[in-house]
Amino acid sequence: MKKIINLLFVCLLAISLAACGTSGKTADPEKKTTAEIPTKIDKPVTIEFWHAMTGGLEKTLQTMTEEFNDSQSNITVKLVNQGTYDDLNKKLMAAAKSHTSPAMAQAYGDWMQDYINNELITDLTPYIQNKTVGWSEAELNDIVKVFREENTWNNKFYGVPFNKSTEILFYNTDMFKENNLTVPTTWDELEKAAQTLTKGNVVGMGFENAIGLNFPTWVQQAGGKFVDVDSQKVTFDTAEGKKALTFLNDMINNKKIARLAGEDKYMSDPFTRGDVGMYIGSSAGISFVSSSAQGKINWATAPLPGDKVASTQFQGTNLVVFDSAEDQQKLASWEFMKFLSSKEQTIFWAKNTGYVPVRESALKDPEWLKYIEENPNYAAAEEQFDAGYHFPHLNGAFAMKSAFSTEIQAVLVGQKSVEQGLKDAQKNSQDALDKAKK
Amino acid sequence: MQKEALSKGFIYLLLILGSILMLLPFVWMISTSLKLPNEVMIMPPKWIPSDIQWSNYIEAWFSAPFAIYSVNSVIVLISSTIGELITTILAAYAFSRINFYGRELIFSVLLGTMMVPGEVLLIPNFVTLSNLGWIDHYQALIVPWLASIFSIFLLRQFFFSIPKELSFAAKIDGCSDFRFLWSVMVPLAKPALITIAILKAIGSWNAFLWPLIVTSSEEMRTLPVGLISFSTDAGTRYELLMAASSMIILPMIILFIVLQKYIIEGVARAGIKG
Amino acid sequence: MNDKPTLNKTLKAVLYLLPALVIIVTFSIYPIVKSFFMSFYTDYDYFKDLVYARGLDNYKVIFEDPEFWKSLGNTLLFVVGVVPLSIIISLVIATLLNQKIKFRGLFRTIYFLPFVTSVVAVSIVWRWIFHSQYGVLNYFLGLFGISPINWLTDPTWAMPSLVILAIWKGLGYNIIIFLAGLQNINQQYYLAAKIDGAGAWERFKNITVPLLSPTTFFISIVSIINSFKVFDEVYALFGGQPGPAGSAETIVYYIYNKFYGEWDFGVASAAAYVLFLVIFIFTLIQLYFGKKVNY
Repeated sequence: MKKIINLLFVCLLAISLAACGTSGKTADPEKKTTAEIPTKIDKPVTIEFWHAMTGGLEKTLQTMTEEFNDSQSNITVKLVNQGTYDDLNKKLMAAAKSHTSPAMAQAYGDWMQDYINNELITDLTPYIQNKTVGWSEAELNDIVKVFREENTWNNKFYGVPFNKSTEILFYNTDMFKENNLTVPTTWDELEKAAQTLTKGNVVGMGFENAIGLNFPTWVQQAGGKFVDVDSQKVTFDTAEGKKALTFLNDMINNKKIARLAGEDKYMSDPFTRGDVGMYIGSSAGISFVSSSAQGKINWATAPLPGDKVASTQFQGTNLVVFDSAEDQQKLASWEFMKFLSSKEQTIFWAKNTGYVPVRESALKDPEWLKYIEENPNYAAAEEQFDAGYHFPHLNGAFAMKSAFSTEIQAVLVGQKSVEQGLKDAQKNSQDALDKAKK
Repeated sequence: MQKEALSKGFIYLLLILGSILMLLPFVWMISTSLKLPNEVMIMPPKWIPSDIQWSNYIEAWFSAPFAIYSVNSVIVLISSTIGELITTILAAYAFSRINFYGRELIFSVLLGTMMVPGEVLLIPNFVTLSNLGWIDHYQALIVPWLASIFSIFLLRQFFFSIPKELSFAAKIDGCSDFRFLWSVMVPLAKPALITIAILKAIGSWNAFLWPLIVTSSEEMRTLPVGLISFSTDAGTRYELLMAASSMIILPMIILFIVLQKYIIEGVARAGIKG
Repeated sequence: MNDKPTLNKTLKAVLYLLPALVIIVTFSIYPIVKSFFMSFYTDYDYFKDLVYARGLDNYKVIFEDPEFWKSLGNTLLFVVGVVPLSIIISLVIATLLNQKIKFRGLFRTIYFLPFVTSVVAVSIVWRWIFHSQYGVLNYFLGLFGISPINWLTDPTWAMPSLVILAIWKGLGYNIIIFLAGLQNINQQYYLAAKIDGAGAWERFKNITVPLLSPTTFFISIVSIINSFKVFDEVYALFGGQPGPAGSAETIVYYIYNKFYGEWDFGVASAAAYVLFLVIFIFTLIQLYFGKKVNY
């Protein structure tokens, strides 16, 4: 009996392998590497840009889009808000299936990985290299290196950096003065400050709910590594990983001197209510904090405290063009992307939102330098460029991220021990990568 | 007799306590929706706002295109309710009054499909609609919901309760099946049909997952989908969130209060014969 | 009384059934079959509708996935938390409402109100009620000296929060059906029992409960099926997440996430079929016991 089953199994396997072999999964021979792209738009064209910007961010984006539309005779960009990033990703996937993709959208690096695997987004290299509508070598290299790398797969550009941010420390200057505290620059100082600030209804330190996603940063600050890109091996369950998670867990669960955003969703609300003394969150939170802090608290920002080394992840989305768009729409999208990433616009965007400018020339521009001198809160993010990294390109990165962030969150809400959480984070992320390799 | 009065008092006490628990969320919602922002996040909570802020409703209404969302919700509600009534009447008639080959089999297959979780159907349906080119159009929001097995079941039960002798009498009078259905059965089944219509209306007005998936542009969103995207925008401005929630909840409450006789009788009938 | 199926009648029936069947076949039955096949797709291009390999791998994956078991467990917990409690509470309230009391209509309306409201909208309201610092629920508990509970952020309390919301929302529907069932019970039984000197509890136990059993049976089937499919509440209450650290992840959320989050349609379809099977088995068991109780 067992033999028969084995035989059947082998047969099945053979069939499935054969099926795999014959049909083949490789992409069509490259359609247009040096392909002709149109360089002129001669009749009116409308493109949709799907985004996830809310509040002040959305208003700023609207202003920029209106300026672009006014400057163009034939191109009209239509903004479509799709809710949260999570919603946006789901909408984009659904649209790809129903052949209703927009021309343009925001996309994180790990989404782009999936989109590229499924041949959904356009290789922008022909546009960048085009003599008429492209960028010069200097213009291309002017894009901040870490962002350029993030958008490159096999020497091809698939995206243009747009809303780039990194984590920074927000602190309540009134509370710091009252308690004679200086800005923490190390983990130890962070913990001490949190201890001092915690009294009455105030909790010293706050972390965003998405802290699990940013856990790699903490591992790297402790001097460790969370993944080896070449061998595709996840390495959370190490001494450094343990140190990082223990540190966070102690502050939140044991000493109760830190909290998660919880039902407030984002720390900017409890921070500006004065419920926490400081928090670590995206630099894009600046616009939210400054609008709701008015008349309530005084505050400032600083680079992230480090441990062994300084490290911070540069996150935020890039602009991508969907391959299903018509040639004219692709060109129109490229024009809009050039506009949004131009020096003037990236400065305008950064000034109004807290995201960082994506061009070196913008970072050195007198207008920007003057602005951060007057508004030092905006400087904390870019001061960290040297310590910055982007999440590596891995097949299955999206699944991996959700795997480890769930486990880390489980530890921080007190559901798992540090050891168990790390073990599971390592195993589940490894499974996600292995599965994507198949 | 004294014991009787005591137990009556106890019954009222329990019922009133229960009612308070049922109503409290609504009271809290409306109270919050009328507060100044600085009275929202305070402890102990304030039940009556010191200064009634009707402007919260106006602000919420204009913070997102709620006018468009409402129009969409109304269009979807009306067309899918009418459509479902028609398909249901015809099908229920066949199942209750025509004895055809495979009747029991088809009916049990239909009942069986009611057990399948709707989420199983989501992706294949999405594919079907996208092949039809209906995604982000009204058709996608309406057509899949033009028939309901539950409603057919409900109306079939009701039709069974109408005496068969009536149809024999009608036949003798030379009344065709079709005319008999519309001029005798349908008027008699009015309470059941109103029940089906209002249950459908409630379901359609409150539907969330499906409209979320088949709409992408703002112009096509219905109220619950619009509310979720507004809730990302409003963050913790609970006074606006509560105002927006009230605007979605209240129309159905009013509809229910006006038509409650039908819905309660209908729901009850469905339950008893089930 | 010659009512036998004939070809003629069948043709006529087809005409009557056509509109409903076209919709139901296209949007319910075809997808059920289609996703059954999808559950065996192990290697495929979703966007181009190409399947390279089929097999049982997806089922293997979910049975080995601790997250799947956890979500199945959570769903069972939800069913066990909601169904019996909701039935008991609604039966009690319906019995009270069935007495000779004033304002019966008003009470009935009040209890039914939550049923007609949008799950999304009331979940947002409940999110505010459950707020750990400024929520009104913790305020009331505080009056009784109970320290604040992190309803939505503590994994232990995520499921109870969901259960509270679900019971509140569904109570009215059950009450109405129970009330109808109660009114169908012949008052003679009660009169006879009263004459025999039976107390209120005895009348409830010996007349109401047994005579109401078909109604209870109906309600329990409907509630169990619906509870197994819980999703909207989870989505809206926890802001798109399945509770803190996935602690309120239900089986439908798992399916949804495999579909829309991880693009794993084969696995999602397989999980959906497992859910279907579970519901099916439960219903069969109930039908079996239901028959016994009924006759």
